[in-house]
Amino acid sequence: MDLNSLLASQSYGSAGSAAAKTGAGSNASSGATRAVQDFTETLAETEAVATAALSGQANPEALVQALAETQLAVEAAVTVRDRVVEAYQEILRMPV
Amino acid sequence: MSSLLDIMRISSSGLDAQSNRLRHTAENIANQDTPGYRRKRIGFEEVVQGGERTGMVRTGPVELDPSALVRVYDPGHPLADAEGYYDGSNVDLVVEIADAREAQRSYEANLRVFDQARQMSQSLLDLLRR
Repeated sequence: MDLNSLLASQSYGSAGSAAAKTGAGSNASSGATRAVQDFTETLAETEAVATAALSGQANPEALVQALAETQLAVEAAVTVRDRVVEAYQEILRMPV
Repeated sequence: MSSLLDIMRISSSGLDAQSNRLRHTAENIANQDTPGYRRKRIGFEEVVQGGERTGMVRTGPVELDPSALVRVYDPGHPLADAEGYYDGSNVDLVVEIADAREAQRSYEANLRVFDQARQMSQSLLDLLRR
């Protein structure tokens, strides 16, 4: 029993350091950061195109294209967020 | 996902090029009765960015149709010469209407491709949501 609890505490400790490493900047987190950057860039671009189109400086085709792109980006972001929240809630429901 | 976005970008450039073409057709039709007006023609060319072919299209420089202007007989016209003729425009309405219809059909085709790419990426996201 003692051995088991020792193993458990050891693996808990290593899991914590692994989580800290992930937070420090592994592939997954840099990928997520890049995705968020892309997302904000897309939003800013669309905003600029919308302003230009409404003031007659850009063509409506560009506006439609930018809006479709933004819609897809927002939907992708919302879907990923829903998935992450779902996984988090799954962890919270785990019997301890 | 990025290829679907590329499709939308390419279709959007096609839409832009076709509406530009229709714009020049409109100019030609509007100036059909303008004396000395030469019909405007535009070609299409592929967009090259940084030495790389993007697959997008844009309209090329405007060219004037070099064919002969129509000689109109109207002795009372201020521009009429000694024989009573003046130079009209070389716009042929039938050609312009056909060109306009072709631009419309191409616009619709590009619109279809755009919509299809949008629907494809939408269903991809729907799959993820389930």
